[in-house]
Amino acid sequence: MLLSKTLRSSTLKLAFIYVIAFCAAIFGLLGYVYWSTVNYLYQISDRPISAESALLTKVYATGGREGLITLINRRLADAYFNDWWYLLVDHSLDYVAGNVKSWPPSLRATEGWSTLASVAWQSGAARPLSMRVKHQLLPDGDHLVLGRDIEYLDRFGRRVTIGLASAAIIFLILAAAAGISTSRRSVARIEAINATSREIMRSGLGERIPLRGTGDEWDGLAENLNSMLDRIEELVETNRQVSDNVAHDLRTPLTRMRGRLERACNQRLDLSHYRSLVNDTISDLDEILTTFSSLLRISQIEARDRTAAFRNTDLSEIVREVVELFEPAAEEAGVRLQLSADQTVPVVGDRDLLFDAISNLVDNAIKHGRDRGEVWIAVARCTDEPVLSICDQGPGIPIEERTHVLRRFYRLERSRNRPGNGLGLSLVAAVANLHNAHIVMADNSPGLRIELHFPIPRRAVPSTFDQQEQSWAIGINRL
Amino acid sequence: MPGYARHVLVIEDDAETAEQLVDCLKSSGYDVDLAVDGEDGLRRALAVDYVAMTVDRMLPRIDGIEIIRRLREEGIVTPALILSALGEVDDRVRGLRAGGDDYLVKPFAFREMLARVDALARRSGTMVKETILRIGDLEIDLLARIVRRRGREIELLPREFRLLAYLARNAGQVVSRTMLLQHVWDLHFDPTTNVIDVYVGRVRRKIDSGQEYPLIHTIRGIGFCLRAPE
Repeated sequence: MLLSKTLRSSTLKLAFIYVIAFCAAIFGLLGYVYWSTVNYLYQISDRPISAESALLTKVYATGGREGLITLINRRLADAYFNDWWYLLVDHSLDYVAGNVKSWPPSLRATEGWSTLASVAWQSGAARPLSMRVKHQLLPDGDHLVLGRDIEYLDRFGRRVTIGLASAAIIFLILAAAAGISTSRRSVARIEAINATSREIMRSGLGERIPLRGTGDEWDGLAENLNSMLDRIEELVETNRQVSDNVAHDLRTPLTRMRGRLERACNQRLDLSHYRSLVNDTISDLDEILTTFSSLLRISQIEARDRTAAFRNTDLSEIVREVVELFEPAAEEAGVRLQLSADQTVPVVGDRDLLFDAISNLVDNAIKHGRDRGEVWIAVARCTDEPVLSICDQGPGIPIEERTHVLRRFYRLERSRNRPGNGLGLSLVAAVANLHNAHIVMADNSPGLRIELHFPIPRRAVPSTFDQQEQSWAIGINRL
Repeated sequence: MPGYARHVLVIEDDAETAEQLVDCLKSSGYDVDLAVDGEDGLRRALAVDYVAMTVDRMLPRIDGIEIIRRLREEGIVTPALILSALGEVDDRVRGLRAGGDDYLVKPFAFREMLARVDALARRSGTMVKETILRIGDLEIDLLARIVRRRGREIELLPREFRLLAYLARNAGQVVSRTMLLQHVWDLHFDPTTNVIDVYVGRVRRKIDSGQEYPLIHTIRGIGFCLRAPE
């Protein structure tokens, strides 16, 4: 199984390509080494033959043919020269002196170097050999041919060839083995990751990819995948909590309504009782529907499919409108709204969503601020960054709770019994996220200071509705 | 509206919702035709001159938006209220672009639906052309932007004036909180707090306090209504 996977693996294919390229380079290098070594050796072996030839020519010049014959015979008697070959012939190539019987037919009659495979020896024994031969013309028309057995050179050449070839083969085998073992290793690691994925698909998010502790890139990958799985598990867990909360928030009013209806069914009540019962049920249902649509709205905002409605808007203007809308509500709660939003602060965004989010923040500040207190709302540009800040004088949010309050249905202990569904800040968070704005919560001592930091607007987008949108907007205003 | 034929068309494929819609509209005095699929609905809308129609967004055969588009192509301008379970703004915009006049997300309160059909039916009838609206002893000058009650001028903020004018244009009819948010603030979402109530409350104090009779009435669970006593 693993072997067949290894053979199919892309790492192995890649490894083979490398091996082939490597071998080509190695063969090239070895070929050059062989060629230059052998050439050098031949040159070296030619040198004594040249020296001997020069000496004999000189003897011929001083002592004549006779002197040369004497010297050749002396050489032939000398054991040191037994691998040498001497032949002196006259101008018609007839034998004069030497240890070779006659002019070898394969030898050219012109001066120069050549290599012969065999010659007919004076002694009669014709053994296969390799002869390096120099042929020289002497002044009287005689030919002197000198040769030397270079069989040892050929042997050496063969040895070099064998050595180089076996080195190449060993290289090849090693490279192939390395390729296969590397591929096997990576295939095994990938197989471990695959096995974990299958396990996750089969049984759930609990599984993790085993680490080898080598700190290599495979461990890095496994670590990243594992932390991704952690994150997914966390999100799934949050989702589960949200569903639990939804179930709880829905079950409570549903149970209430069911009990009420059962009572209406079983008991005889007068008309006004029935009426109030139905009215209560309708308002409970409305509450559930509101919760539902808030949840859906948050999901849709989170799904990030609303940037199409983004326009250049003035954050200050939106905030002024929100404050104007909430002024009566604040008055009723005995809270004074202090607004500071004079300059134009452009942001790119969705006016409806921004209005809704800022409404939620102002509403929270009024509800959770101090009775007879003040709420400050300010829009400003902080080093070009549009910032909206809202401060109240209420009890604030404890530091450890600050990230939790943005979660859906999360409610602080002390506000459990107040109206609200725990979705307001989740909506703010979703809207902030959609606008790439970040939320900062700080202590206003006393109270909460919540800030929305928007990105510096860069994009040029249409600042007004397009024609069609404008026409329906006018249509509605006419109603 | 005496002497005015109040004939409306309901295009709705869900039997129970259709029955409830028809009942609700009938009980407030409309003649109601029901079409249970898009084809039937389109045929009826082409044949009869209705004062208003409600169109379900998702219908068998021809989809709600397509019906409105084809009607508008034929030059039929019967005001249409789109009823949809798809509440996302993009969808809302698509519906209104196709020529729908108003949009309501399911589930809705029937009285909210009725309030919107009333507004549409009224629009197709007598389009308000006057520049001065009179309801009881209240007088609203839309051009000069002046509000008087029993001849005495009442100071209103610009937004408060817009709110009162919208209520006055729909005098005698219920206007929901969402409709107010839509037409007075140009915002398209459902308010989750009672902030609109409190805002209307302030306008009410300015208009009604110290007067013989109240004009702005809160209709429980739905919204508000501006009307003079009979």
